[in-house]
Amino acid sequence: MKYITKNLRTCKLHIIKTKKFKTITVRINFRSPIVKNEITMRNILAEMFTQSSKNYKTKRDLTIKAQDLYSVGVNTSTNRLGNYTNLNFFLNVLNDKYTEKDNFIEAFNFFTDIIFNPDVEDNKFNKERLDIVKDLCRKTLLSIKEDPASYSVLRMYESIDSNSPISYRMVGYLNDLDKINESNLYDYYLKVLNNDLVDIFVIGDVKEAEIIKLVKDKIKFKTLKKERVPYILKEVKPRTRLLKVTESIVNNQSNLVIGCRINNISEYERNYVLTLFNVIFGGSPDSKLFKEVREKNSLCYTIRSVPNKFDNLLVIRAGIDKENYNKTVTLIDKILTSMKKGKFTDSDINIAKEYYKTALDDILEDENRIIDDYFMSEIISTDNIDEKRKNINKVTKSEIVKVAKKIKMDTIYLLEGDINEKN
Amino acid sequence: MKKTSLKGLDLDIFTEKLDNGLEVIFIPYTDKKNYFITYATRYGSTVTKFKPVGSKRMVSVPTGIAHFLEHKMFEQEDGVDPFTFFSMSGTGANASTSFDSTQYICYGTKNFKENFDFLIKYVNSPYFTAENVEKEKGIIIEELKMYLDIPDYRLENKLKESVYKTHPRRIDIGGTISDVESITKEDLYKCYDSFYVPNNMFIIVAGNFDKDEAISIVKDNLKDKKKVKLPEIKEVKEQISVNKKMDSFEADINVSKLAFGLKIPTTSLSIKNDLELDLYLSMFISIVFGISSEFREKLRNKKLINNFYTELEKIKDFRVFNIMASTENIDELIKDIKYELKNIKTDKDTFERIKKVWIANEVRITDNVDATVGNIYDDMIKYNKVITNRVELIRKMDFKKLNKLLTEIDFNNYSIVKLNVKDAK
Repeated sequence: MKYITKNLRTCKLHIIKTKKFKTITVRINFRSPIVKNEITMRNILAEMFTQSSKNYKTKRDLTIKAQDLYSVGVNTSTNRLGNYTNLNFFLNVLNDKYTEKDNFIEAFNFFTDIIFNPDVEDNKFNKERLDIVKDLCRKTLLSIKEDPASYSVLRMYESIDSNSPISYRMVGYLNDLDKINESNLYDYYLKVLNNDLVDIFVIGDVKEAEIIKLVKDKIKFKTLKKERVPYILKEVKPRTRLLKVTESIVNNQSNLVIGCRINNISEYERNYVLTLFNVIFGGSPDSKLFKEVREKNSLCYTIRSVPNKFDNLLVIRAGIDKENYNKTVTLIDKILTSMKKGKFTDSDINIAKEYYKTALDDILEDENRIIDDYFMSEIISTDNIDEKRKNINKVTKSEIVKVAKKIKMDTIYLLEGDINEKN
Repeated sequence: MKKTSLKGLDLDIFTEKLDNGLEVIFIPYTDKKNYFITYATRYGSTVTKFKPVGSKRMVSVPTGIAHFLEHKMFEQEDGVDPFTFFSMSGTGANASTSFDSTQYICYGTKNFKENFDFLIKYVNSPYFTAENVEKEKGIIIEELKMYLDIPDYRLENKLKESVYKTHPRRIDIGGTISDVESITKEDLYKCYDSFYVPNNMFIIVAGNFDKDEAISIVKDNLKDKKKVKLPEIKEVKEQISVNKKMDSFEADINVSKLAFGLKIPTTSLSIKNDLELDLYLSMFISIVFGISSEFREKLRNKKLINNFYTELEKIKDFRVFNIMASTENIDELIKDIKYELKNIKTDKDTFERIKKVWIANEVRITDNVDATVGNIYDDMIKYNKVITNRVELIRKMDFKKLNKLLTEIDFNNYSIVKLNVKDAK
């Protein structure tokens, strides 16, 4: 695998040459500091590219063209990382070896044409298409409670800190949806092109010169951009008294979500020690939470903790019976306390290190994970895989205990399942 | 081992059937660091009445028992938790139960030998006690409740109740809560001893491993396991017509949902080969209801749907074509689906284009060891063998054959389930 970066002034090109995959993957990442009332707009914009373009007027036309190019995958997505929001464009296409000569070039042109030649007339997006996308978005927003697990996490985030980007609903907001029209969406599109930082990743069995030429020909921006704010959110002290929020829903199960604040954590701790802490605490089926709460006490089927490095948070989630709420919270608290007291073994640490190393190996088997890894080192200067492999071995028990002590429960959210009548 | 090349995919596959009936399938990769293993039995949730080994009487076991058994296999007499064992080398492990099968998987990049050996050993050493069976009930009931709270899942179950009159697919894979509460260790052993036998099982491994070393691990562990006469499973005669044409229920949701199931008896169709039939029926679904169809474009333009999902189910002597969709106007959507089925249009261009898409996807799958195992697993369950020439079969598909098939199907044999919004304003 060979990694080449090229600074094209208005954007950065990353080429990862490898013969490992039968496909070529391209990702174009646009990012800018997140603005709450632009989230819905950004989602709508992302979806518009999948519905039509100047040259392919309907989703059907777009799909037929994509299928003709041996089923190229073209997708878009939006998400938040700390203070930033991403808008990603993905292309996945079989290597010409499995299709025909110049299929990749044609697919690349199709892809960039979708992004830079959208369905716009007189500075306005096509209204008919926009109405379709807005309607889809509206129905998605109306259906968010259908997935109680994700909904409860979202409500915990809103409860822990309603002003921070933590609380922003990445699915968007109905109020903002109503305000979007053909013109202001086009303005926003231009704003993204002119202001967002852009990184382009290409991975596969490709020729460097050919990719550079393709990118220079097809991808052009007018402005130079700079990073303005840090990626990682500012630390916030945990509240002195735990916040407990309970809401009810007509469900069989209750969803418990606990938000913990992490304070005074160094880069090294964030990237290595916290990860190991989490594997031991609640990140695997061999973890303390899984074994104690699920296996020993039969309190749940799902239990998991996830560190959110960019937000200085640790989130614990479990699906429980409402009768067991106090018992479960007490038990989780007890397990967190015992981590702080160092009640885990060297073998636990070694297992966690092995998990981490397998995860590193796994990165190399998946194009998108390889891109993610380079993307992280681009934005927050994480170490490369070899360095990570070396550094993880250095982590000691006392370092994990030290990190455990920096984690404090802040908000306990319960989406209480209350089923009076059964269907 | 027998070597076969997967045509058009740059991949070799090695197979062997041991004397005791166990089938072993290996797909070694030279350029990958990871591996994926599944050890499976052709025993799933639909087996609830059978004659256990050594018994002359048909017995009924509680629903959900195959899934319960899957959970309990992780219990070991020597106390070594399989999750912990695999974790020691950072290896992931899991298990899953379907209507027709149960599988135990592990995937990682290290300690292949030890992990493979352990996987085979632990699936062959059940340890059920009254106490550990009791303890599992709370966990499984929470799992069932989790699914009950997902409206799409309930809708799917309701659809199966409408399509099938007697087939055990009517019952949720996890079983009912009261049945799960009644399960005993004796029930578990009865099922284990009957269905976890070499001639009912298979192993698939793909990725970075040495096939010679792997086959000797299999043989060292299982050569003494004898072939066992498989229990007679109570055969259910499923009626040709759907059980219930129309059903509906309500839930606390904001956008209503529709489930549609077309029941296709297959014995009278001209295509007799199961795989071929599935290819042609999938082709029909792609052309008429797929993402590039005129039907979908019409629905999009009318803003009629936000989710639309199709699936082809296979049971003995039947196929069921399912549609699940979210819509604010169920009746209009039903009208559109009915219209489409009365006026089926196919065209050669689309037919050829979909073939191209399928072949491209076959190539894509081989880039990924877990997808490769998953693909072969499905073949083993559905067709009882590995399909090594799928690309060729797709290429050879004949447009006229599709159209002939479509004239043989009764498109009025369907069930509809509406999931309505409670307290619609």
